[in-house]
Amino acid sequence: MVDVAMVGAGQTKFGNHPLGLKGMWSEAIEKAFSSVDNDCLPSMVDEAFIGSIAFGGSQLGNTAALLTEHSGMDGVSVRRVENACASSGFALRDAWMTIKSGQADIVVAGGIEKMNDLSAERKRYWLGVSGDTEWERLAGLTFPGTYALTARRYFHEFESTHDDLVHVSVKNHMHGLDNEVAHLRKDVSFEKASSGAMVADPLTLYDCCPTSDGASAVILVADHLAHQFTDTPIWVKGSGAGSDKLALHDRPSLTQLRATQLASQKAYSIANVQPNQIDLAEVHDCFTIAEVLATEDLGFAGRGEGGLFARNGQGRRNEGNVTINASGGLKSKGHPLGATGTGQAVEVFKQLRHQVEAPRQVRDAEIGLTHNVGGSGATCAVHIFGRER
Amino acid sequence: MMPISKTSIDNTVFATSVYGQQWAGPDGDRLTIALQLLQSETASTIQIDSLVESLEYTPSTRISSIIESTTDWRVDPDGQYRLIASNSSAIVALTEDENIVQWPDLSHGKSIDEEHKSAINEAWKNEVSGVSQGAYISQSQHVLAMPSRLGLHAQEDASGIIWPPRQLNSEGERISPATNKLDSSASILTWTRLSAAGAPSEFSLRAPLLGGISTVLVEFASGPKGVFMLADDEEGQASIDQEVSFEVRRLYGQDNLIHYGLKALLI
Repeated sequence: MVDVAMVGAGQTKFGNHPLGLKGMWSEAIEKAFSSVDNDCLPSMVDEAFIGSIAFGGSQLGNTAALLTEHSGMDGVSVRRVENACASSGFALRDAWMTIKSGQADIVVAGGIEKMNDLSAERKRYWLGVSGDTEWERLAGLTFPGTYALTARRYFHEFESTHDDLVHVSVKNHMHGLDNEVAHLRKDVSFEKASSGAMVADPLTLYDCCPTSDGASAVILVADHLAHQFTDTPIWVKGSGAGSDKLALHDRPSLTQLRATQLASQKAYSIANVQPNQIDLAEVHDCFTIAEVLATEDLGFAGRGEGGLFARNGQGRRNEGNVTINASGGLKSKGHPLGATGTGQAVEVFKQLRHQVEAPRQVRDAEIGLTHNVGGSGATCAVHIFGRER
Repeated sequence: MMPISKTSIDNTVFATSVYGQQWAGPDGDRLTIALQLLQSETASTIQIDSLVESLEYTPSTRISSIIESTTDWRVDPDGQYRLIASNSSAIVALTEDENIVQWPDLSHGKSIDEEHKSAINEAWKNEVSGVSQGAYISQSQHVLAMPSRLGLHAQEDASGIIWPPRQLNSEGERISPATNKLDSSASILTWTRLSAAGAPSEFSLRAPLLGGISTVLVEFASGPKGVFMLADDEEGQASIDQEVSFEVRRLYGQDNLIHYGLKALLI
């Protein structure tokens, strides 16, 4: 079967972006194509998959056609992929499968979201559309609420306290401090992160990622074309995806994400890689408790030991077996819903090519992983990348 | 838990909220009082014209359906009993008589902060008159799921008791309709209290007045789990393993309709 290589990747800065959808997308595409070592043009693309929730309802229909129209990909077969916050993780998977199946040779996967030019009321409405509307939302829950329920239960079931979440927050802010594309670039002390304003008890402001504007894109090609474009392709060694019950209360466990477990098991199996071989992982820390669960569900820590993992600083850059969220993660880099998944891939692409600015570079990075979750865990896509095929 | 206050005079039972006849509470009204009253009496058939006319806002689903989903009473235009509501106070009567000659004085309830009451009532007024801010559920789904949502009716198949209801099982077979009733209480597995900033937009007007809203995730003894907003928790805080009971209360209002649902009360 065809192998798939990533030969280009680019993104806008995440945060309060002055541009609209067309401007942000074209900037991400421009950067992705200019990152390819040898000539590669938008007109060469066979297929494109663009993840977005179309937050705010802006160009809700035919979003993808508008974006490719404005990025030099006229006539390309394109569609919007929507799986909440995992939209572009699934766009990446769709792109990978398209090349694997032999139906296309050059495919763009990306994502975009414009979140910060809405009124507070409208923003809160759109932040809640991906949860379970009929049962959870009518009980007063949006995602801070569902993750708060998970956190409190986690503390009850295991030897863990809110301090463990504070460690996650401090680490990710430290990692994001030097990241030029990060939304929140600030050093946050343990004391400060411990005393944030309560959002959903026990989660405070420092446990929650920001809402960001942004776009990201990667260029995937079939193996026979990889070295036409670069001498250092990054291989997509494995892709896995899974789903779970939409509502938290319908799941057997409140402290595990089955979708992550299913997705990672498939990705590890296809890549023939074990968790202890991963050098860096960009995990979906929409809330700090989500990173604690992810370290367990992805196999970096044992069941119930994710809090301890954070407490011991095991995910810090170049300090443990695996660096967790070298980019700053969603907590610091930001979370433009639909753009987050391929934004993670952009970071891994640069890290594995050893092209990240000095203080942020993960030493000797050979294998990286991205973990992109939709909602409170209803969907998940995991990808494993490597310098070696 | 804050039960209704009841008084029997001759053949009539009168009920108010714990606030007495002055107020039905922050998420109560004459309908929620009536439902509690009916649940506390032996079921029969009932006429509801007076109650319907007395309600401040129109419910999103038929009142007869709400009553029949929540209680064992059956609504019948020629029913044996009548639900009669006072138009000037928060009192509901269950009687075999045609009219209430004299309403009793049931003012001695929980003390009311008039400023708080006024702010809450104003918030409801603004909320109900607003357009949809979210939580859109098709009317057909809203009606179809009502017995499960308001009456805790559950399905059953080989995998056990199922609630909330589902369509097909893993064999591709349609799961039978919800006919089992879940227990009337459940145990808290986890809970949160959302600040006004963390609450969904539907609750954005009332959440600041209430100091945030609490939600509990509970497990019924028969297995199913569910999430419910907590009611009447001004003087108590949820904790894991604590038991809760359930009552129908106002959930939210929009598009000139009030939506009702079950809320949990700490036992």
